Amino acid sequence: MIGSPDVVAFTKEDEFGQNNPDPWSIPEEFSIPLHPLADSNPWAKTSYAKFTKDFILISEFSEQVGPQPLLTIPDDPKVCGTFDLNYFSLRIMSVDYQASFVGHPPGSGYPRLSFVEDSRVVLGDSKEGAFAYIHHLTLYDLEARGFVRPFCMAYVSADERKIMLQFQELSLRFSQASECLKAGNRRAFAKELQRKLQDLEYTHSVLQREEGLQREAGPQCMYSAHAVEKANELANVEKSIYEHRDLLRQISCYHCRPRRDPHAVTCQNYTDKGRKREDVQSPTDDGGGGKGAEEDEDEGIKRRSSYTPQLIKARSAKCFDKRLKTLQELCDEPFYEATMELLKETERSFRGDLCYLHTRRMDKALRRRQRITNFLFEEDLGDEDEDEGGMLRPFCAVNHDLDNYTILNPPPIVLGPEPVELDPLEPPDPLDPASETSHTQESELVLEEGNLDSSPSDQTLETQESSEETKGSFSSDKSGTGLAEKQQSLASVRSELPDPDSDLTPDADHNTDLERESSSEDMDITAGEDEGDNGGDQTPVSLLEVVSELEASMEDDCERRSGIESDLLVPIDTACCMAQEGFLYEASAPEAASHLDQSSHHQSSQTLVVNQEPQSLLPLQNDYAVGSLCSESPAAGLELPVGLLGDAVSRTTAEDGSDCTMSASTGSDRAASPLGYGGVVTLRQRKRAGHVALRFVRQYPFAIQALWCLLSGRTLVVLGADEGRVRRLVAALALFVPGPGKCGERVQAWLSCPFTLTDLKRWKLIGLQRVASPVGSSMLYSLSRYSRYISILDADQKTLRCPPYRGQLLANIADHRTYIRRGSTYFLHVQSTLCRLAAKAFLFTFTHHLHLPVSSTEGPEVVEGRRRCFLQEQLGLGEEDSQILLYLSQLVTQQYLQPPAGNSAVAPCFSFNYTTSVLYKI
Amino acid sequence: MSSGCPPQSPAVAKCEVAVEGECPLLAATFAYWDNILGPRVRHIWAPKGDQLMFLSDGEVTFLANHTLNGEILRSAECGAVDVKFFVLAEKGVIIVSLIFDGELKGDKNTCALSIILPQTELAFYLPLHTICVERLKHVIRKGRIWMQKGYNIISVLSLEIVPIMELLASMKSHSVSEDIDIRDTVLHDDDIGDSCHEDFLHKAVSSHLQTCGCSIVVGSNPEKVNKIVRTLCLFLTPAERKCSRLCRADSSFTYDTGLFVQGLLKDSTGSFVLPFRQVLYSPYPTTHIDVDINTVKQMPPCHEHMYNQRRYMRSELNTLWKTDSEEDIPPDTVIHTDETFTPDLNIFQDVMHNDTLVKSFIDEVFMLKPGLSLRSTYLAQFLLLLHRKALTLLKYIEDETQKGKKPFRSLRSLKTDLDLTVEGDLNIVMAFAEKLRAGLHSFVFGKPFYTSMQERDVLMTL
Repeated sequence: MIGSPDVVAFTKEDEFGQNNPDPWSIPEEFSIPLHPLADSNPWAKTSYAKFTKDFILISEFSEQVGPQPLLTIPDDPKVCGTFDLNYFSLRIMSVDYQASFVGHPPGSGYPRLSFVEDSRVVLGDSKEGAFAYIHHLTLYDLEARGFVRPFCMAYVSADERKIMLQFQELSLRFSQASECLKAGNRRAFAKELQRKLQDLEYTHSVLQREEGLQREAGPQCMYSAHAVEKANELANVEKSIYEHRDLLRQISCYHCRPRRDPHAVTCQNYTDKGRKREDVQSPTDDGGGGKGAEEDEDEGIKRRSSYTPQLIKARSAKCFDKRLKTLQELCDEPFYEATMELLKETERSFRGDLCYLHTRRMDKALRRRQRITNFLFEEDLGDEDEDEGGMLRPFCAVNHDLDNYTILNPPPIVLGPEPVELDPLEPPDPLDPASETSHTQESELVLEEGNLDSSPSDQTLETQESSEETKGSFSSDKSGTGLAEKQQSLASVRSELPDPDSDLTPDADHNTDLERESSSEDMDITAGEDEGDNGGDQTPVSLLEVVSELEASMEDDCERRSGIESDLLVPIDTACCMAQEGFLYEASAPEAASHLDQSSHHQSSQTLVVNQEPQSLLPLQNDYAVGSLCSESPAAGLELPVGLLGDAVSRTTAEDGSDCTMSASTGSDRAASPLGYGGVVTLRQRKRAGHVALRFVRQYPFAIQALWCLLSGRTLVVLGADEGRVRRLVAALALFVPGPGKCGERVQAWLSCPFTLTDLKRWKLIGLQRVASPVGSSMLYSLSRYSRYISILDADQKTLRCPPYRGQLLANIADHRTYIRRGSTYFLHVQSTLCRLAAKAFLFTFTHHLHLPVSSTEGPEVVEGRRRCFLQEQLGLGEEDSQILLYLSQLVTQQYLQPPAGNSAVAPCFSFNYTTSVLYKI
Repeated sequence: MSSGCPPQSPAVAKCEVAVEGECPLLAATFAYWDNILGPRVRHIWAPKGDQLMFLSDGEVTFLANHTLNGEILRSAECGAVDVKFFVLAEKGVIIVSLIFDGELKGDKNTCALSIILPQTELAFYLPLHTICVERLKHVIRKGRIWMQKGYNIISVLSLEIVPIMELLASMKSHSVSEDIDIRDTVLHDDDIGDSCHEDFLHKAVSSHLQTCGCSIVVGSNPEKVNKIVRTLCLFLTPAERKCSRLCRADSSFTYDTGLFVQGLLKDSTGSFVLPFRQVLYSPYPTTHIDVDINTVKQMPPCHEHMYNQRRYMRSELNTLWKTDSEEDIPPDTVIHTDETFTPDLNIFQDVMHNDTLVKSFIDEVFMLKPGLSLRSTYLAQFLLLLHRKALTLLKYIEDETQKGKKPFRSLRSLKTDLDLTVEGDLNIVMAFAEKLRAGLHSFVFGKPFYTSMQERDVLMTL
């Protein structure tokens, strides 16, 4: 047995050691602190930085004034605070390793451009509390010394760990920005060279003419000093022409150079228009071929532009007389804009505390591995594959060998204005509505993104939300959009812009987001269809057939299905699911009858009998639709249900439901709830809903009953006169609705007309208007008529009518004495609890032996008993808690066997309970 | 010295280090800023044998000199060690430099200890960066003392440079893959208890999670050891897996500080000697798992571990400070004690706290049919739950303390509110949270000199 820590030794020092320091003991500067700052406050590690949040800094090593900061992103002086950007620029520019030789190499008559690879450095200033990822790059400028202008782009943060842990992602993002900037610079440089060449050629012709005139005017065998000077000038101009042509050739051959950087990215080009230009004259014929030749084509076009050449005077500007070009001038405008956009996007995506960034990405990665149950409570993952490839993996700082690196999915760099009809040399016409529009669209998008930011920083920002939260106002925020959406939007805008520069070459290794997203969508849809087809084909005619089929071909099914699923879905053995479903039929049918007789609970599992769930007929909604209104969203619940309910008693026709086609109101307080209008409910909205949910739990001691109703599939009607209040409550309670659908299809936030039984199948949570009119009385009638199927939460009277719940499973998320202070914290707590419930439902659903007979003699009753026993003994659940698991399991089974087409939610099971409802009051 | 001749350049000493296996390190260098000559390289360490890429001494010197670029502006506090990280595509290398101040020939100089790797090893190196840097930082602390005394720092630096070369070489051949096939783990067994005893597996995983995913697995059978190593790695993030090492079949690696999970083979006598100092210097407490006798022991929780670690580091540095002769560098195997501090050598204790989280997971996961993705999915759900619980706990404490501005006094409420009343569960979630927010244990559990038992007594009275 190993002993416990030596307490005496610890206390000894505090009593004696520190009071009587040993004169021979080590000075503190050579030792380490016993109690570092991080121990006293783990949140204060970065507090001594002089800036408030991370920012991007672009600096230049100016040949005139030395290192100088140029701009910051975000461009807000408050961000940098008192941080000395000049000093930091000096620091970061002095570590550049780029030894870009420019000049006349031995044996060469012309200056040679050196295409150096970017270098990446991480360094810190521990005293200032500033750390930076620095990306060094070189731009070309005809007027600069040696034609080069060294720049760097730095991501500055107070957290060194944040930079190192995300090094590869930062490197990737900045490489993209750098390549974009350099591509634009090469274009601008080539443009400048061409103009200079035109000037030189013009000057040459003028000088030649002058010289000819002088020659003719003067004696044949004598040259005047003026003539000699002219001849020298002419020779210089000729030399200069050759040099400039050579420089143009060099810059045109940029793509032919060997890349030394194994992690280099390339600007990508998604249009082929640039390559289709004809009748171009390459300034070089050195066989640059390929990409170089394409660029030359551009140059050919450029040379025929409408530029008016000017005479160049022999006197050159002194070094300090000239004004150096700004960064914007050094780069073609669209490229510059695109670079800035990439950097802004980078700043946004890395915003926030590392801890939350890390967890968010881990969360996403783990959720991707459990797509089967995600629909229950998780926000939609969408097709943000870039996060998986581009964000998480670099963040984890693992597996970044070269192959993987190329898999990373950078934001698309589809750049530039379209110059097919226009002269590509000319800047986009500011009066041209097309270019104007595209730019405006992009800038508007940027603005919108800025406002609608739902970046990781939200999580940290929310820690400062107390005052906002305590007010309890819950306003709809339809503005939040995901990263992928932003990129998609940007990409779509950009993709309308054609390729201005042939050096933006397509790279087969780098798929675009769009390609990725569309392909993954395709895959999902395909998977869905496959599954749907299978499910459809195998829909049993009778329950007995199901059993016999299953018994006969269970193994075959396993193999075949796992084969079909391949990579599209998690390869899970469907046998258990199907078997379970089969036995659910087997068990439920007689049970249903008996339960009807016995007035006991019955979990309907007949959803598979329903021909088609109404929502599945609806057109696919855009995954990233933001702010779409209910009128555009059939999922909002205004469509007539056309299916048959499994419940024979409540069998309805389409006509029965017709009275609810006008049911949704256009109340003024619509903005109070994001639900029910077909918009994607964002994480931010869910967190805000968490605040209202926390208040609900604290305020209503019977909250646990309400949550149980929702989680066990019993429709909850929130009744109230104040629309805003009802909507807020519905938005909060919607957190607990299993499988609410991507756009909250299972939730009707506000209904101002009576509902029908069909609606109860479609909606699991309904906000119902209380009105004192004939309509109101009919609504009350519908409430009482269907009271056996629903629970009613009266927001005005503060009462709840529902069956009693005596379980323990939900005690932890519905404790009105909880000390959780903030809605966002409560939301996290609810998320973990629901995650656990989903896991248990998964376990229950896919545990084979529970749902299959052990022997042929074993009847369905035995299997059913085993299932019940599992719930009660293995999982320790009581009757009511078991109902939750059974309901969730049904949804999982249904989702798995018949995944709904497109984005519509899984058809909920319609369950009802004859247990007497109880009226709870505060 | 008035001859007008430029001062003679100090020669660059070079030593070649024999490393078993393929060492991805190209060279390590020690350079300093000479007040007359500018940046100078003093010493080069290079692995012996074939390398992935050849760098001449001139190139190494060029690179090493440049690590001191811009350091003339350095204004760090005395004793601070700053890290610079270069990826130089032009040269095809990555350089990790630790910049510090030290006394050379009576002058205060800026020095740089650097390691150089090929750029192609970036992905391999990045997960190991923190481990290398932390170990180098500590040897620099020792080196600064040595410099202060006027002794040759190279001998001290070699104490860590060589092990780091060995570590990188061993990781090159035996690191755990990022994507672990569940079929190579215990979780693929048909039934619980097939590979190892049910309770042993539960204890091992539980303790592994309680010690922040840091474990050593020892045993005589390399296959058995590696199976447990892979099983434990299933509960780690991909980055942490890349910082884990399988055991070698023929002979054991030495223990390496900083790895998350490492498999170690017992010798022919059936024993494995763990170096006390290295285990104590691990960033997290460690779980010790013996697969031969199915025992699981664990070190004290994070805050105690960190306290013990710092005490020992201080003791070690103090001993070095008091050393009288350059020849008397105390070896790492010596346990440092002095009149004020006696380290407790029994750092591994029985796992005291049971949990429900891992217990139910282990019980339940074997109910799912093996050979499909069911168990992987269930594992992902379990990990998601733990990550979320950790984040919730962190946020709860953040709210309660206004981001650490106020002391945390409501542990009991936290346990009740977040369903962490079982000690083992709390330990696991706290360990996850500690990795997200370093120093959380010390902050929550108050003064670090409390032991676990005392702390609980105190906190329960709040």
